[in-house]
Amino acid sequence: RKDRVFVWGFSYSGALGVPSFVRPDAGWKKPRRIQPTPYRLETEEKISSAACGYGFTLLASKTRDITKVWGMGLNKDSQLGFQRSRRDQTKGYEYVLEPSPIPLPLEKPQQTRVLQVSCGRAHSLVLTDSEGVFTMGNNSYGQCGRKVVEDEIYSESHLIHQLKEFDSRVVQVVCGQDHSLFRTKKGTVYACGWGADGQTGLGHYNITSVPTKLHGDIAGVNIIQVSSYGDCCLAVSDEGEVFGWGNSEYLQLASVTETTQVNVPRHLPFKIGKVKEAACGGTGNIVLTEEGNVFVWGYGILGKGPNLIETAVPEMIPPSLFGWSDFSPDVRVAHVRCGLSQFAALTNRGELFVWGKNLRGCLGTGRKEDQYFPWRVTVPGEVVDVACGVDHMVSMVRSFT
Amino acid sequence: PGSGGSPGRALRIGSIAVSLAVRGPRFRKLKIGAGHRLDVKASGGLVLGIGHGNKLLTDLYNCHLPKVYTVGGLFGKATDDFSDTGNLVEKTTFDHITREKLERILAVIQGTNQKALLMYSNIDMKTQEAYELAVKGLIRPMAKSPPIITAVRCLQFALPEFQLEIHCLHETQQYLRRMVHEIGLELKSSAVCTRVRRTRDGVFSVHDALPRTRWDLRSVQEAIGSCQLKVETELEKTLG
Repeated sequence: RKDRVFVWGFSYSGALGVPSFVRPDAGWKKPRRIQPTPYRLETEEKISSAACGYGFTLLASKTRDITKVWGMGLNKDSQLGFQRSRRDQTKGYEYVLEPSPIPLPLEKPQQTRVLQVSCGRAHSLVLTDSEGVFTMGNNSYGQCGRKVVEDEIYSESHLIHQLKEFDSRVVQVVCGQDHSLFRTKKGTVYACGWGADGQTGLGHYNITSVPTKLHGDIAGVNIIQVSSYGDCCLAVSDEGEVFGWGNSEYLQLASVTETTQVNVPRHLPFKIGKVKEAACGGTGNIVLTEEGNVFVWGYGILGKGPNLIETAVPEMIPPSLFGWSDFSPDVRVAHVRCGLSQFAALTNRGELFVWGKNLRGCLGTGRKEDQYFPWRVTVPGEVVDVACGVDHMVSMVRSFT
Repeated sequence: PGSGGSPGRALRIGSIAVSLAVRGPRFRKLKIGAGHRLDVKASGGLVLGIGHGNKLLTDLYNCHLPKVYTVGGLFGKATDDFSDTGNLVEKTTFDHITREKLERILAVIQGTNQKALLMYSNIDMKTQEAYELAVKGLIRPMAKSPPIITAVRCLQFALPEFQLEIHCLHETQQYLRRMVHEIGLELKSSAVCTRVRRTRDGVFSVHDALPRTRWDLRSVQEAIGSCQLKVETELEKTLG
């Protein structure tokens, strides 16, 4: 069984990694602005983690080889590191059209492994198993975890910062729009970056340029997962409780407060069962419970038809929409993911369901219209994981035979 | 006409049809029509309509209800007509095939057919009505369409044999045999179809069917009576 990567969505930024879509390599070929259905991307190594940012993508492999991370798409803020231009050795590329290696300043490049990558609006985070977290890209709000340098020029920058000062090993990194979240093995959460919506959860609305520990309702709680993509953040504890902070203009946290910005983690007392996984989008949130049920709340196309536009309290999406029936009663949703205005759900059968705004074909359904309820994406293989961006998606697929 | 005989002797009365005192046609003609066809190599339930039932058959056809088949397959060979009685085209190995692999292929088949289902059912996907129908699993084409598989699962798996239960619409039995052949190809081997048995046709299941030994007037009357309610309910639900 082979492991493959499939991409779809908006291609002109280079985020899909197929140069012939942007610069056709034959006279008769036409540029492809949008790839409406999953398209196989050839990769040199087996990709274990992928992340979609705002117009760019990072792919990472668990290999011990020197090259462990590849990037493609927008690079105006060096979110893909320095990509040396072949025409002029002193300059760097602003757009990277195919997966290109990102050189990380590792101490032990042939031993350290990259576990996970995450991308925000203009910055990226790379998590390693023994050398902490590497950050690159825009740092105007301190989202890279280093001091903001006035008038710093981010394009064509070689600077990749390393973060090691946490209470224990970092096991998950998450990028919001302009902030970063770090979850450690001990279950604590650190944050840095833009805080005007309270998304750093540090009790103020200023920017933070050094990863700082969060308290509030998650103090002393063992957090097993954090999520963010826009300006709202969610965290799940080992007991299945959900905590949120950040933007609440779209009712994301309206169940506990009427204020539209929450700068301290608050417990969301939902009575929906033990939560296993949560994902945050731009205006909507989604959680998956231990029982395999999917709940959505917030604003936008939430997945229960065009009539449900907003809700402060989670509403369950009927399991029959994910392929469950009397005929196949073992079908269960295994993971949930969020893009800026789309949702994705992966079932235990390896099927991918998407719904939300179909911005530039990012849903991969092959149709142009927005999708108001979960719809199956035809992928030739078992979908193992999916990363959602603003206008593109990347999935890791295992072939059937 | 005969007179009563002594006790113990059977009384033989001739057929009254030959008597000159009886008027009217000798036989009454009844129109019998068949519902969805079953080809020569297939078995299972075949729905027949008698008299008024013919019109009901047409109405039931317009309901576009799914049919259920039990399809048997055999890995290891491919024939020209996809069944086990055809001319051998190719022989292949099949020890690499596992139930898990087969089920994965079946999942793909269901997925691609789900798309076709929605496309041919002509529903505006942007409406709340579409959402409600999707939740209930009631989206299906209400007009002519290519064959669509609504559900498929593996009932039995014992190499080289396997058995599938297939729910479908607008199919032919040969289409199902071709599907078995294509499943064999997807699994990097080959397969032929050993049997196609229809176990359900809309509201009629094979349990309601009359076996050969019960093809008599009384059984037919009883069968019609017991199905009447089911047919009426379904027609009303779908056609209003």
